[in-house]
Amino acid sequence: MSNFTIPVGPLNVALEEPMYFKVDVHGETVAHVDIHAGHVHRGIEYLVTKRNVFQNLVLTERICSLCSNSHPQAYAMAIEQIAGLTVPPRGEYMRVIADEIKRVASHLFNVGVLAHLVGFESLFMHVMEVREMMQDVKESVFGNRMDLGAHVIGGVRYNIDDDNLAYLKAQLDRIAPAVAEITELYRTNGSILGRTRGIGVLSHANAIDCSTVGPVARASGINYDVRVKAPYAAYDRLEVPVHVLPDGDVWSRAMVRLAEVATAIDLLRQCLDTLPEGPTSCTSERPPIPVGEAIGKCEAPRGELIYYVRMTDSPKPERVKWRVPSFMNWDALRFMMKDAKISDIAIIVNSIDPCISCTER
Amino acid sequence: MSVLPDNIESHLAAAAPSGIQLTSTTNTKGVCTSWCTLANKDDLLSTASLMKSLNARLSTITILQPKAKSAPPPKEGETQVAPSFFGGSASDGKTFEIDYHFDIDGDTLTLIVHVPYGGDVQSLTTLFRCADWPERELMELYSVVVRGHPDPRRLFIDPGIENAVLERLIPFSTLVNSATTKGLWEKILANKVSQS
Repeated sequence: MSNFTIPVGPLNVALEEPMYFKVDVHGETVAHVDIHAGHVHRGIEYLVTKRNVFQNLVLTERICSLCSNSHPQAYAMAIEQIAGLTVPPRGEYMRVIADEIKRVASHLFNVGVLAHLVGFESLFMHVMEVREMMQDVKESVFGNRMDLGAHVIGGVRYNIDDDNLAYLKAQLDRIAPAVAEITELYRTNGSILGRTRGIGVLSHANAIDCSTVGPVARASGINYDVRVKAPYAAYDRLEVPVHVLPDGDVWSRAMVRLAEVATAIDLLRQCLDTLPEGPTSCTSERPPIPVGEAIGKCEAPRGELIYYVRMTDSPKPERVKWRVPSFMNWDALRFMMKDAKISDIAIIVNSIDPCISCTER
Repeated sequence: MSVLPDNIESHLAAAAPSGIQLTSTTNTKGVCTSWCTLANKDDLLSTASLMKSLNARLSTITILQPKAKSAPPPKEGETQVAPSFFGGSASDGKTFEIDYHFDIDGDTLTLIVHVPYGGDVQSLTTLFRCADWPERELMELYSVVVRGHPDPRRLFIDPGIENAVLERLIPFSTLVNSATTKGLWEKILANKVSQS
């Protein structure tokens, strides 16, 4: 058998986002992977230092589409710490609602694309159809299908009236059984199992070594979820089970995501049932932001998202640095792809649920 | 609820003989955030290995050039003292500050070092595999040298662009290497000719 170096990407590895893998293969087996990034680097970390605190809330939401809600949330959390603002209880519940709606849509998108890569097109379309119900929720409650624009410094800028509350509950009642059905399919279907069981394995030790986060880490047996370990918003008052699987293969990562979709629906129901009355934001003004620095952390659909903000005497931040979950998970691909077949590369890449516009900023 | 050991300050002080400055706050939800400034950047590796022994995870690394502090007016009979950071690095607007954010089971501890302009800092890749990408990124953002990095290539920014992009203004179109579509196409053709 001969050795070759083949290019995978930068376009259309699994999704339409660009990442370039230089893969050394021996016959059909992957021997070594080199990752080349930088195709969508936009210099947003520079841009945030040229805009004021409140303008940045809008900018950070546009870093990524699938976790667009998590960026302004973590950023607002850091600013609120610097300014000593406390989000009122209703605002905290609203933040959880926005977060979990995005998580359902994001995870369903990823497991849907997995079905597409396996070649199970009818399942792909079915999952996307179920996801579409959540897209309808976003459009009805927030007015947008991707960027929710939910956050302000000090709370949220949307509210849920009785009509929307009833609508949201009805949609959840439609989505929950559909998700249970999809989960059962992924658990038992031969086409799915054949292409995902034992594929792209990331051992527990390697997962720790690479500092993986989110579903990738949890599918390799790491029990870490920011919502439990460093509670924020209303998560300290909600029941949040953490789903951990031991095997670290593509299937485990998909199953963790599906379990988290069910949990997200449950969290949404908990929130809607116990939604406190009161204001959604601690201030309707733009509060003064003093000098200081802070860290904001939240669990984005792909894992831990961390924001560091430094304010000086200027209305523009001196530095805002964020690290998205995908940034940590790329490295793990080197272990997952080792000795994999060329035909499995796209499935393995998709299994870390990569977000490239997030990674490169 | 902090998971950090109670005597963390003495552990850190033992690992960094040149001195540390530690502050900690715990929010209403019990999440602890600590900031530890090292007087000497050469104590970084020993304090980082202490973090490793506490099962900390390196979350990310932030680099910035803090604005120069304004010096307090000198008292009568004294000469003006130039402002400096803890440890003595000059606060001249050019000194780099590098923040290493560690996660310890939900709590965050940040190790802060100051590196004089044109200085260097030890790589943490020997302790934390995941320091690789953040260190490559900080090398392309500022003119700081990371000693002992196993693979100091550019991460996101094209090697054809001059180093230290955050130290100067770069037009966005130049940054993304496509001032005009025609310009990019001509550049590609020129490369093709020069290669063949």
